[in-house]
Amino acid sequence: MNQPPTQDRAADCADVVLRLFEFVDNETGPLDRDRIQEHLDECGSCLAEYERDLLIKALVRRACACEEAPPALRSQILTRITTTVTYVEQRQHRG
Amino acid sequence: MLSTAVTPGERAGASALVAPHLGWSVMDTDQTPLEDLETGALAEADATVDVATETTEARAARFEREAMPLLDQMYSAALRTTRNPTDAEDLVQETYAKAFAAFHQYRPGTNLKAWMYRILTNSYINSYRKKQRQPLESDAAEVEDYQLARAASHHSKGLRSAETEALDHLPDSDVKEALASIGEDFRMAVYLADVEGFSYKEIAEIMDTPIGTVMSRLHRGRKQLRELLTDYAVGRGVIPAQEARS
Repeated sequence: MNQPPTQDRAADCADVVLRLFEFVDNETGPLDRDRIQEHLDECGSCLAEYERDLLIKALVRRACACEEAPPALRSQILTRITTTVTYVEQRQHRG
Repeated sequence: MLSTAVTPGERAGASALVAPHLGWSVMDTDQTPLEDLETGALAEADATVDVATETTEARAARFEREAMPLLDQMYSAALRTTRNPTDAEDLVQETYAKAFAAFHQYRPGTNLKAWMYRILTNSYINSYRKKQRQPLESDAAEVEDYQLARAASHHSKGLRSAETEALDHLPDSDVKEALASIGEDFRMAVYLADVEGFSYKEIAEIMDTPIGTVMSRLHRGRKQLRELLTDYAVGRGVIPAQEARS
């Protein structure tokens, strides 16, 4: 079986594409990070893939920007904390 | 289960949590406003409090100081998780009630947000998933699929950057809709990683799964998300249909 000369590079691309999400999350170990970075420097297709993954991560963060909790929810939770403390204190006071 | 402490993350996403404690090392400079000093002193005390000798009242005050500032974040996460405001409010109520009841088990100075997220995730799985009767995703199938992705190849050069450009113009509502459409385990993993910036280790602790499962959920979740967003972009005419699937 003759291996086409592009085989090495193709295998590398498949490996890099598989690990890109870790790279995007900054969870790749230092050795792998250097290897992936090196590959991205020379492979336009993988670089485009990386840029898109990076963008999608940023899009999710942007779309899910923090929303303010309803004031009623906040006060209900606070009331619950205060009520519990008062109840415990009364019980302790009664001995 | 609730007593499991999640250590503070070392990554950028979690740095905001430990910043007040780190910032405290500059307490002896004259320029620090008095108010900041008091806040810093309280944070320092909260991080080193002896839970065993703490009074109920002091613990409630500490809970209020530490957990209430997380309310908007917890509500936002609950909204994305449950996908409707009523359930989100119920889930947050339940999370805070459980967190308050178990607050003596929280180890002061560790990552409270991760601890709260773990309670929220557990509460959601126990209460709401049962109610919704969604089929559970098989972890075995996830890993298998993840490994199959090794065969993945990418598309021709040049088209992707146009696609990326187009995706960037999608409205937030499309992104939220896509996120709401993917499996909930995927959705939560993606949310925790992308919005909260938790490390894989922290997500594994929050979701109570091995790191490999977290990675598989992120990998598959993002793949589905990407496909949906590309479909939306085609639907909106920002990507020609032929190019999107070339």
